[in-house]
Amino acid sequence: MSADEPTMSLEKPTISPGDNTMSADESSPPSPTRRTTMSPEDQHTQMLDPSRSQSPKSPQAAPSAPGNARANVSDGLAVKLEQLRAFYGDVAQVKGIDLDFHANEVTAIIGPSGCGKSTMVRCINRMHEEVPGARAEGKVLLDGSDIYDSSVDVVAVRRAIGMVFQKPNPFPTMSVFDNVAAGLRLASRGRGDLHNKVETALRGAGLWDEVKDRLSEAGAGLSGGQQQRLCIARSLAVEPEVILMDEPCSALDPIATLKIEELIDQLKSKVTIVIVTHNMQQAARVADRTAFMLSGELVEVGPTQQIFTNPNDSRTEEYVTGKFG
Amino acid sequence: MSSEVNAGQTVRLSAQQGRQHFQQQLQELENRALGGLDVVTEQLDRTLEALAHQDVELAQMVIADDDRVDGRYLEVHQGILSLLATQAPVAGDLRLVAALLHVIVHVERMGDQCVNIAKLIPLSGYEPPVRPEVLELILKMGAYARSEIVQCKASFSGRDVGLAEDLARQDREINRLNREIFRHALEIGDDADTREWAMHMILVARALERIGDNAVDVGEQVAFVVTGLFREFSDQTNPLGN
Amino acid sequence: MSTPAPAFERFSLTPRRRRKDRIARGAVVASTAIALVPLVLIVYYLLSKGLGSWSIKFFTTDPTGNTFFAASSIGGIKSAILGTIEMVALASAIAVPLGLGVAVWLVEYGKSSRFAHTVRFFIDVLTGVPSIMFGLFIYIALIVGTGTSYAAYKGAFALSLLMLPVVTRAAEVVLLLVPGSLRESALALGAPRWKVIFRIVLPTALPGLLTGILLAIARAAGETAPLLFTAGATMKTGFNLNGFMNSLPMQIYTDVTSPTTAVVNRAWGAALTLVVMILLLNLFARLLARRSSLR
Repeated sequence: MSADEPTMSLEKPTISPGDNTMSADESSPPSPTRRTTMSPEDQHTQMLDPSRSQSPKSPQAAPSAPGNARANVSDGLAVKLEQLRAFYGDVAQVKGIDLDFHANEVTAIIGPSGCGKSTMVRCINRMHEEVPGARAEGKVLLDGSDIYDSSVDVVAVRRAIGMVFQKPNPFPTMSVFDNVAAGLRLASRGRGDLHNKVETALRGAGLWDEVKDRLSEAGAGLSGGQQQRLCIARSLAVEPEVILMDEPCSALDPIATLKIEELIDQLKSKVTIVIVTHNMQQAARVADRTAFMLSGELVEVGPTQQIFTNPNDSRTEEYVTGKFG
Repeated sequence: MSSEVNAGQTVRLSAQQGRQHFQQQLQELENRALGGLDVVTEQLDRTLEALAHQDVELAQMVIADDDRVDGRYLEVHQGILSLLATQAPVAGDLRLVAALLHVIVHVERMGDQCVNIAKLIPLSGYEPPVRPEVLELILKMGAYARSEIVQCKASFSGRDVGLAEDLARQDREINRLNREIFRHALEIGDDADTREWAMHMILVARALERIGDNAVDVGEQVAFVVTGLFREFSDQTNPLGN
Repeated sequence: MSTPAPAFERFSLTPRRRRKDRIARGAVVASTAIALVPLVLIVYYLLSKGLGSWSIKFFTTDPTGNTFFAASSIGGIKSAILGTIEMVALASAIAVPLGLGVAVWLVEYGKSSRFAHTVRFFIDVLTGVPSIMFGLFIYIALIVGTGTSYAAYKGAFALSLLMLPVVTRAAEVVLLLVPGSLRESALALGAPRWKVIFRIVLPTALPGLLTGILLAIARAAGETAPLLFTAGATMKTGFNLNGFMNSLPMQIYTDVTSPTTAVVNRAWGAALTLVVMILLLNLFARLLARRSSLR
């Protein structure tokens, strides 16, 4: 009669507790206790959550001017942190982090307040050094090249690695159109067809339909959620390879938050996304991989569904279940 | 709250300081679910006694009392839904909640099997042609089943994977007894009344074997909660583990 | 006054509280009234005494220096108006860019460095310096020191020295009000620093900057002391920046002490003219600011 009883699982490859803790490189050889044959992570992820590993449809057809052909191709680059340290004066806020951000994936950084998540993320686009007295050490490799190398132009780095902030901050003196175009004008890249690029960016941010008749109105006149999407469009307009988001939804209402989360899901086919968030459910919904930081150090990183169902480190377990934080 | 951490050192907070209300709710839910196992144990005791003494009235009581088990099922099920909706458990808590859902289903099934046994008792009439050696085997099976239920409860509340795995061993005994009873029943042969009674005993034995399987399944849930891995414990065809 | 029985004892308005409230309110109103009195009086005097002198001739003829003859022959204040406009314009052209530059440096680059603190300190000192010092400084440096004579541009220099700290201070305050998040987002887009300042920070601060600039212009236009030893005295309209030049404050200064009533009235007329000019400039600048921010 045991045949009648529904079996709980097939020969499901599982992630055994040999998965990495401090060193975050996923490509380390599997530990001997594993009994799986193929890369457990990919298969597991695919079986449980097919939507995560495939690129979703690209957002509504952008007017495909020849210059925009790039927009439909996988564009995100991988970022790798090597022994990254960040200081404010003499105090180390980030204490030696090795972390990989896979291309065209969303990686969430979670952790309690003051653990250094925002500081670390600001080091990725070299905004950290704008604070007087702040400095960073170590390497940040964008597609293999260290952006902290002395020959690198900071401004160029920031065009490739965009940032969206916690509080939506459209430029107050500019219209919607000018806000989106601001990046292009400020960066004085080959402007190309400005109007086309603005439309593409607004479509990419899911805002085009809402503002197409209001392009000349003040950017600050939009609702909070729309403003944040405007800021995303502004970042998208310069066609970055990576977008960093520092708690992009914490100032927004739940509906606006959900819209932005959907947007993130669509965007990842074009860019690599790193999102810092206080909201663990958000990290769970939105991210392919999640990294947990504590007191300036990386505690654990792994596929999101693993971090939230069976984390390796007890500190991670205690944090995600809310026993502290 | 502050947490001092050195690489490799675990965070020591005054245990479970966060989300006390939630932790309480979770604990209560577990108690209710595991309490269901106690109810089932009682049911099993009574049905075995009814079987031993051909006590039809006792059998009727067992059947009626299945409502308690069903009620417990509904209560725990609702509690789980409510907890999932309001508290969004993750990691260990999530695994526990998922496990409790399985456990309460197994509890309900075990209860049903007790009822199945109880329903067979009146069919044999007030003075059935009992074969003592078969009855003895049945009661022995019953004892094993009872011990498995008690053990699976202990392993769950103690999160003891070793104890859970041991259930598989006990279950092998039950399966062996099941086969033996079947052989005896085949050999009874001649008398029609006795044959009928023997057929009933086969059904009883099967019900007891199912109870044992359900207890093993509860043990598998214990392993899942603790390790995050799900694997089937051995049955008579697969060796333990691989 | 009878009060209805209060619903809650402890929320009721006691007579003591009422009295205190009334006293405080009375004190505040009284101070406002006192402060308003001189303001109202000034406006009243200006209008009543100055309007009478206004006429077409007033604005289109130079003062003639004839103070002993008929009122109709004393002339108007054309040279003074034009002189003020010329010198203040030149002074602004010097002081505004310089002042903005210092403010931008202080806010964007110097920030809290030791040197920036020193600069701020000296700016503050300069705002407190009596305006005559600027005149004296230019006098010694450019007139006695070089052995040349008074000139309009030297007067303008003195005025610009006066304006500089005012512009800097006001601009710095306004620039500091621009939220750091704006600068951050512009930087994060990959803009070089100077572009962030010119395209984002300055336009955002524009209304406040204009106010600060106006303040400085108003001050400069009304100062007599710096011009006393620098611009020289003349009645003729001139466009030669190297020559002597008249100005409204100077004109008022010389006219007010005259025994001839008509001349004194002309002084009032000139004072009113100055105030009206500043007012018009103010309105014009606000219109500009509103136009540029509303788009």
